[in-house]
Amino acid sequence: MKATRQKKFYGVLLAPTLIFLGIFLLLPLIQLLILSFQQVDNFFEVIDGYTFSHYIEVLTTPVYLKTIWQTLFVAVITTVICLVLAYPAAYLLVRSPKRWRAFFYILLVSPLLTSVVIRTFAWIILLAQNGLVNDVLMKTSIIDEPLDMLWNMNAVIIAYVQVMLPFAVLPIATAMSDIKGNLRSASMILGSNRISTFFRVTLPLTIPGMISGAMIVFSLAAGSYITPLLVGGRMQPLLPLSIYQQIMQVYNLPLAAAMAFTLMVLVFLVIAVLGYILKKWEVRVNG
Amino acid sequence: MGNKGTRWLDSLIWIAGIAVYLFLTIPVLVIILSAFSPTDYPQFPPTDFSVRWFTEVFQSEQWMQSLWSSTLVMIIVTPLTVLLGTMSSYALARLSFPGKGLIQSFIMSPLMIPQVVLGVALLYLFSSLGLFGSTLGLIIGHIVICFPYVVRTVSVSITNLDSRLELASMNLGSTPWQTFYRVTLPLIKPGIIAGAVFAAVTSFGEISVSLFVSTPETITIPVRTFGYIDQTFDPSVNAIAVIFIALSVIALVIIEKTIGLSKVM
Repeated sequence: MKATRQKKFYGVLLAPTLIFLGIFLLLPLIQLLILSFQQVDNFFEVIDGYTFSHYIEVLTTPVYLKTIWQTLFVAVITTVICLVLAYPAAYLLVRSPKRWRAFFYILLVSPLLTSVVIRTFAWIILLAQNGLVNDVLMKTSIIDEPLDMLWNMNAVIIAYVQVMLPFAVLPIATAMSDIKGNLRSASMILGSNRISTFFRVTLPLTIPGMISGAMIVFSLAAGSYITPLLVGGRMQPLLPLSIYQQIMQVYNLPLAAAMAFTLMVLVFLVIAVLGYILKKWEVRVNG
Repeated sequence: MGNKGTRWLDSLIWIAGIAVYLFLTIPVLVIILSAFSPTDYPQFPPTDFSVRWFTEVFQSEQWMQSLWSSTLVMIIVTPLTVLLGTMSSYALARLSFPGKGLIQSFIMSPLMIPQVVLGVALLYLFSSLGLFGSTLGLIIGHIVICFPYVVRTVSVSITNLDSRLELASMNLGSTPWQTFYRVTLPLIKPGIIAGAVFAAVTSFGEISVSLFVSTPETITIPVRTFGYIDQTFDPSVNAIAVIFIALSVIALVIIEKTIGLSKVM
């Protein structure tokens, strides 16, 4: 009796969320999926009948194929750079004295609380022709002519790394602080030096943190369009930008929908693979 | 013996780590520098001090209207998201049923779904429902985006909660609702407050979905900022940026005082 009453109560608590997300998350995605198979006339108006042609266009046209590769490439590069930079940052966070730790946490969490538009804007001020970096370099006579640092893929990757780095640092730091100090001491007592202790003890135990960080960074880097629009310009071959343009300028909604689903499937595939590796690794480490 | 090598390695890691934190901080410093600079592009070292961009923002009708839109949306989105998020994280923590993992992934999925896809999907849904460009549309979009953040912070609090306290309450004759209201709710309050702060800040800064579903009448601050950067480069954006940074500092303080910054992820 009591148990069923409790269950009912929990069900009542859960129901509004499921209804809300059903209507405003699941339904729009299903609608978008249907749209991606719909035929269009010459003015991109949706007409009766279903077709694979949008997916064929996305997956066979050289321009779009290049865009897909470039999207994955940029996301992978961003993820790798983030992980490499995250490691020393996480190390400092975990091993530093308490007062410093709070300071590092503030530096890490505050970007998560600042709008991505604002953070990207700062990179424009920094990298523009008459921006801060060129200003300093010219004044110190290191260069004579301002460098072109904005409106290319490098600018996109720099801004991405800065925007997404905290997502990589925080899980690695959590994994690192979970390692018991005596594991490392044991390794050192048994004759390993610090470098081999790092590779045999610390690194394997922080791999799960790295993988969870990589999942978030990769999906953010593959799916953002605001940062590339602002620092990379409209012409960069990135899938989220192509989707934005199809919607806002070309008005070919079904093609945009097909691109959106291609993007989403690619992101989910990568996340699934990373998740699989994570599971295997945890089994291997924890038995 | 091995000490020398160790010390060398230690300093190297520290230098690398501090460089990374500097890299993270640069944009904030740059924004503050340029917001108080009298020239269109800031100079380093700064030549002069001025608050003209702040004056311009507060005298501009467009900025004030956007500030109002953003604030209105945030004020409505935050309590609704907190309500939905708290109810569902609590229910999911206490229920076990087949397919629970699937439901959990589903309610956290807005974090993983590419934001451009969410934006397009909601744009299309709202067009068919006649909600395109409405404040209601913005509110709905923001709730979907902010929802996982609330679930995450509230779940942390629920995991730390001793469920025997609830059992004791129910054994003493309380109904599930009384137990939730009198025992659970006060104990998970820190997580709820932190979730509310996250929801508010995320809503106020949201752009990826807002850009797709807003029209000139419902333009929020981030969307207007985007427009100014993209098209006209109005330096008063600098002042807006400082307002955002000030907000995030307030949010930081509240999160630290409730669940602690180390529990954010």
